[in-house]
Amino acid sequence: MTSTLPGVTTEQPTAVPAQPSHARGHRPERTDKRRLTVRPVIRFRRSRADLLLCGALLVAILLVQGWNIQHYPTLSDDEGTYLAQAWAVQEGKGLAHYTYWYDHPPLGWMQIAFLTWLPSLFSPEAMTVAPMRFAMLLVSAASAVFLYVLARRLWLPRWAAGLAMVLFGLSPLSVVLQREIFLDNIAVMWMLLAFCLAASPSRHLWHHFAAGLAAAVGVLTKETMLVVLPALLVTLWRHSHRDTRKFAVTGAITACVLVGLCYPLMALLKGELLPGGGHVSLWDGITYQMSRPGSGFVLDPGSGSYGVLQSWLYYDRVLPLGGIAGAVLLMVTLRWSVTARALAGPALAVVILTAVALRPSGYLPAMYVIQGLPFLALVLAGGAASVTHAILRRRRGPREGRTLTTVRWTVLAALAATALAVVVPRWYDGNHTALTADANAPYRQAASWMATEVPDPSRARVLVDDALWLDLVHAGYEPGLGAIWFYKADLDPAVTKTMPNGWRDLDYVVASPTVRRDARDLPKVRDALEHSTAVAVFGDGEDRIEIRRIAQGDGIADGNRIAGGDGR
Amino acid sequence: MQGSADGQGGLPRPALAEGGHVFTSVFIAAISLALFWMAAFTLWWQMHAWRTPETLAATRFDRPDGGRESSFSLLLPARHEQAVLEHTIERLLESSHSGFEIIVIVGHDDPETAAVAERAAARDPHRVRVVVDTHEAKNKPKALNTALPHCTGEVVGVFDAEDQVHPELLTHVDHAFRTTGADVVQGGVQLINFHSSWYSLRNCLEYFFWFRSRLHLHAQKGFIPLGGNTVFVRTDVLREAGGWDQNCLAEDCDLGVRLSSVGKKVVVAYDSDMVTREETPGSLMSLLKQRTRWNQGFLQVYRKKDWRQLPTRGQRMLARYTLMTPFLQAFTGLIIPLNVGVALLLDVPVTIAFVTFLPLVTAMVTFVFEIVGLHDFGRQYGLRVRLTHYLKLIIGGPFYQVLLAGAAIRAVWREQRGRGDWELTSHVGAHLIREDVHA
Repeated sequence: MTSTLPGVTTEQPTAVPAQPSHARGHRPERTDKRRLTVRPVIRFRRSRADLLLCGALLVAILLVQGWNIQHYPTLSDDEGTYLAQAWAVQEGKGLAHYTYWYDHPPLGWMQIAFLTWLPSLFSPEAMTVAPMRFAMLLVSAASAVFLYVLARRLWLPRWAAGLAMVLFGLSPLSVVLQREIFLDNIAVMWMLLAFCLAASPSRHLWHHFAAGLAAAVGVLTKETMLVVLPALLVTLWRHSHRDTRKFAVTGAITACVLVGLCYPLMALLKGELLPGGGHVSLWDGITYQMSRPGSGFVLDPGSGSYGVLQSWLYYDRVLPLGGIAGAVLLMVTLRWSVTARALAGPALAVVILTAVALRPSGYLPAMYVIQGLPFLALVLAGGAASVTHAILRRRRGPREGRTLTTVRWTVLAALAATALAVVVPRWYDGNHTALTADANAPYRQAASWMATEVPDPSRARVLVDDALWLDLVHAGYEPGLGAIWFYKADLDPAVTKTMPNGWRDLDYVVASPTVRRDARDLPKVRDALEHSTAVAVFGDGEDRIEIRRIAQGDGIADGNRIAGGDGR
Repeated sequence: MQGSADGQGGLPRPALAEGGHVFTSVFIAAISLALFWMAAFTLWWQMHAWRTPETLAATRFDRPDGGRESSFSLLLPARHEQAVLEHTIERLLESSHSGFEIIVIVGHDDPETAAVAERAAARDPHRVRVVVDTHEAKNKPKALNTALPHCTGEVVGVFDAEDQVHPELLTHVDHAFRTTGADVVQGGVQLINFHSSWYSLRNCLEYFFWFRSRLHLHAQKGFIPLGGNTVFVRTDVLREAGGWDQNCLAEDCDLGVRLSSVGKKVVVAYDSDMVTREETPGSLMSLLKQRTRWNQGFLQVYRKKDWRQLPTRGQRMLARYTLMTPFLQAFTGLIIPLNVGVALLLDVPVTIAFVTFLPLVTAMVTFVFEIVGLHDFGRQYGLRVRLTHYLKLIIGGPFYQVLLAGAAIRAVWREQRGRGDWELTSHVGAHLIREDVHA
């Protein structure tokens, strides 16, 4: 047993080797009780079985997530946004190639810039959404390993830790979402690291401090991670020792707050903390995010949130619904189940995230579920471990008959078989699609058309969605005012100013589904769509991408191209 | 370039690129990083005891098993301290250990204190003796060296005339000597009267962090500046080392440095029940004088270069850093506000401005841990720490920093001028009045 005092004899050769249980002789019963509740420490790095299991699962996850990653799922607008801003950071163009307006803290795409920096050095034209999805494999891998370590640190048995890792990495829902360049995936990685540090078996003050740092980085990567912090605090509290807890907890909170304050500090140093004439501000950014129109109650079939929920459940029902059920089970059995108490932190995270999603008038983005995935997986695996333990061990006497033991194992086998029968076919279908489908052919064809068919890209002005923007930049279009994020034509004064004649100052619109959908609220984009004709169409139906040339009186209005290069 | 396509659109502070500004930026960043690492290391060491529950448990005294091996000679130098001396001797005599003698050292020019000491010796002639120090110019190391030849015990212990010593302490120290094979045992010393004034609050907390935490790190690393009292050394080791350095203003620190530099084993133990209780200096001026003396002593120890014999590079670095700490601390206290001012007012790039905030960040973390430390201090000693005390701690922080900086500068100045005389701290016995608060 390596439980309580490895440090006293090995690390403290010169200090008095006090036996702690004796040192405070005047209250031995309290101290002893504490010592006894400490469980064996799991040393991940020294456990061959853990390393082998985790390594094998990791290879499987990377294969499933990496295979066909460029072709499925459909390139998302948000991926394009973040990668383009990462590109701007790499190119030394500041925090974004348009004015950074405090929509999100910039740390997320700074990390993307770091991750994609080396590959983009070797082949700059690979800095587009589809190829750079491979960078997300690193994030997925780190998250999956952290999750396994966390599960073991929360005293789950090895098989349950492996189960959590499989649920987290191989659920079709995870496969689809973790392939995409979303800030949430990076934030989840940091938050898992924070949980691992909070549950550090050595209960080291600076591990707990580092947990606060990692949590703050997670929040600065994606601010919605804020809501998970209470769950982290619960984990930290449970895993710190009574004698050092006040330092550990305050240390972690201080670290988290101080790093978190970097964001307003940055705004302050740039003179953009508070609103003022002629500049963006952090205050305005927060106000905008808080006042985003709600997408309705998630269980109301007519609402936008309901649609988002259905899109998650389309990929996988087991992880989200099973995870929530697991969290409820653990919360209810908190008094009796050791596993439930060990997993109190992750279970609380699931409860909080569910409660936030159930707000009647909240805004529910499609990637919201990403931050819940690891906790759902942990809690579901923990629930499974709890149920297994109950079936095999509950009320088992020292001399239990073979019959009863056989019954216990039979029940367990039946349950496991049922679970597999439910899960495997659905997951097979979902992951089969993820491994074989090509959803991005229209995007590739559109990018290639724009690169080869437009006579002089460097002088053309094109409205394009974020996902294709970098392809156009690599094809020679001018970033920002040549290749234009379509909504900036209406929303960014610096862009609008260069279009005095409205749609007439443009040459092309690459009308992807996103552009057509959002054009309803963007008059200039709508005009451009109306006054243009499709010259090439890729794909069909709702998902088609049209390349539309702006109709000019005499063909292409040469005089209006890039309205006077001196204007910028 | 106007418009936003260059990404820097609305920035009111243009990034500087010209030569002079680059130099300023690099200079500021370098200083900030140096300060950051200094503060970070200090913080890391200050929090040593609370690293893990196991570390904390190991800082306590082991519980004695009832055996007895060593006999003690307890040295009690007293100078113009007739008010507190009698009480201290009585309390020492209550000790549960069976083999010890008390040697009171008084000056030949101090009849009042001598009278008190003689009275005590007359009451218990077997356990109390008086030694008269006849040096013209008096100081503590001279007094201790005067008494050293008279010691008959196997272990020499040092206390101050105003100390309150716990009756169980000697038994615990005896046990520590026996079980660890140590050459030196340093017990805890704690200032208790945190309620007296704003600076005594901070002073108490300094002791708390030093004896509760930092000294254990030094013992572990094999380089330790010992404390002035509640320190126990094997008599033969002490004689071999030639006693205390009479010309050093921090003879306690010097002894520790000399003994650990030749590889003697030092053990530190801290138990809130067992610490020696002391009082803070009675006025701001006497605190300043005391601190000046220590700083000057640290400087002298640094310049004696005994620490260079330490076997490993890491130990020598620790020694160098520890002995220089008062001066680095003074420097830090002055630079941090300056740095933040530079970041906010001067036109430096945002990244550089960020770097200038790093030392402030570590200072804030230290601050928070001090607040928690004050809470823990109150808990350990059963003292009621009120909200006003926390406020005093926070508000007093910068002023205390100024005091420390003043003492550091004063020490350098005095050392340069060659003034090596003792500015003795006088004691009024504030901690004695409060003694029953928790005992």
